[in-house]
Amino acid sequence: MKIPTVGIVGEGELAANLQELLVKADFKVIASDLSGDYAKQVVDVDLVIEIAPEDIAVKKKVFKNCDAKCSNEAILATTTANPWVTQLARATKRPEKVIGLNFTKNPFEEKYLVQIVRGLQTSDETIQTAREFLARVGITAVNLGETPGFILDRVIASIVNEAAVMYSSKLATKEDIDNMMKVCVNWPMGPFEFADILGVDKIVEILDSMSQQLGHRYQPCFLLRKMVDAGWLGKKTGRGFYVYS
Amino acid sequence: MEVKKIAVLGAGVMGHGIAQICAQAGYPVNLRDTKDEFVETGIGKIRKFLGGSVERQRMTQAEADAILRRIKGITDLKEAGNDVDLVIEAIVEDINIKKELYRELDQICRPDTIFASNTSAQSITEMAMTTKRPDKFIGMHWFNPAQLMRGIEVITHDKTSKETLDAVVNLCKKLGKEPGICKDSPGFIVNRLLQIWYNEGLNMYDEGIAEPQDIDTALKVAYNFRMGPFELRDLVGLDIALASTGTHYWELMREQFRPPRCLIMKVKAGDLGRKTGKGFYDYRSES
Repeated sequence: MKIPTVGIVGEGELAANLQELLVKADFKVIASDLSGDYAKQVVDVDLVIEIAPEDIAVKKKVFKNCDAKCSNEAILATTTANPWVTQLARATKRPEKVIGLNFTKNPFEEKYLVQIVRGLQTSDETIQTAREFLARVGITAVNLGETPGFILDRVIASIVNEAAVMYSSKLATKEDIDNMMKVCVNWPMGPFEFADILGVDKIVEILDSMSQQLGHRYQPCFLLRKMVDAGWLGKKTGRGFYVYS
Repeated sequence: MEVKKIAVLGAGVMGHGIAQICAQAGYPVNLRDTKDEFVETGIGKIRKFLGGSVERQRMTQAEADAILRRIKGITDLKEAGNDVDLVIEAIVEDINIKKELYRELDQICRPDTIFASNTSAQSITEMAMTTKRPDKFIGMHWFNPAQLMRGIEVITHDKTSKETLDAVVNLCKKLGKEPGICKDSPGFIVNRLLQIWYNEGLNMYDEGIAEPQDIDTALKVAYNFRMGPFELRDLVGLDIALASTGTHYWELMREQFRPPRCLIMKVKAGDLGRKTGKGFYDYRSES
């Protein structure tokens, strides 16, 4: 199946950037926000990409509405960063056509990486179609199953947590920890720089989810919780591990 | 105290590069190994590296010659250690051999000579306590290749004096390196965090979440890591990776350092990475 028409349901930076990328790659795009009757607008699309707020109830409603209006052939994709694909599939009558397409923007370059997330019932054909679609847009994609944090957040949250343990126990300063990772083994950023960019609150959320689903070893370091209590969430609040002016 | 003359013990992979960097910064260096041939091999590598720099016009032949003249190859430990301000030890990673060496050095060197170990795996505290100068004992962990990697982990233990720390931090800066200070602990900063980064990647593979290529690609494309955890493991060798993971797990006694099942199984199967043609990836078609 080809994908000539794509519906984007939702707002924000990703919705705007995605629309631009799709138009450039010669797709017909129908973009609508969540206020009006978006489901009616996406009746004829081959792929719906949902970019609603990270709230399972809101997303379920979007999936239910689109499922009712879209053609039986259409694929419904969620951009969620949570392992919700299987749950969202259940809100539809086409669970094999529900898939996760999670976009991560590279902090150094203007490009995205997509994590194609397979739900329990997602079909091989749906995955293949999604891969072909992304290849046509020129976005690199990787495949994975559902896990809290997916690949990227899981790895980054784990290193932030360990670095926070090391910093809390006064083994080294945060500046030295960040700098050593960059100058000794060429990491693009140190763990605390990653934390401030992604958001300390988001890191704690991922770690909580990981520790609930994967085990105690992922419990967030106490320092991270206290930083959330203090509102030191990173760049977005002007202070995280570092102060931003 | 200001470091004016340095002895580098061990002319192997790390030692020759360390000696070169010290000599390049203008320090006279005693490069010592146990046999003439080891010393000659080390100096040969330095000569080759400098030759490359001259070829690429990064330095003149005269400069390269001057650097080589500052390095004195020695096999006698007494001759290497009796007139230096700092000893950088980069011998084999065996705690007993290192302790034996430090006991001997303690007798040979002046009382004010600083001992710096390039160990990545042994306890600085344990080695310091074999000497009568634990206040002058410190870790100086370089990265491979020493000539090119900018960072040095400077490892202190409870008895390291401020003067010792200051002297070594200043030296790092004079060598054109960036020091990062860390208390003696398993893996220090870099290897401990790398261990988590590797393990979390490998754990996801063990859980059936994603394939090595997906995990490596995600980290490289999204965040510009130069290599992914599976590629790096294959490059270093999975037997070495497993041993190092095991050491961290044993020392830190925490679940997140436990060797992943896939690593254990690869080693059992003899698929040790690039050096055997197969590890997490298959390299046999490349050769």
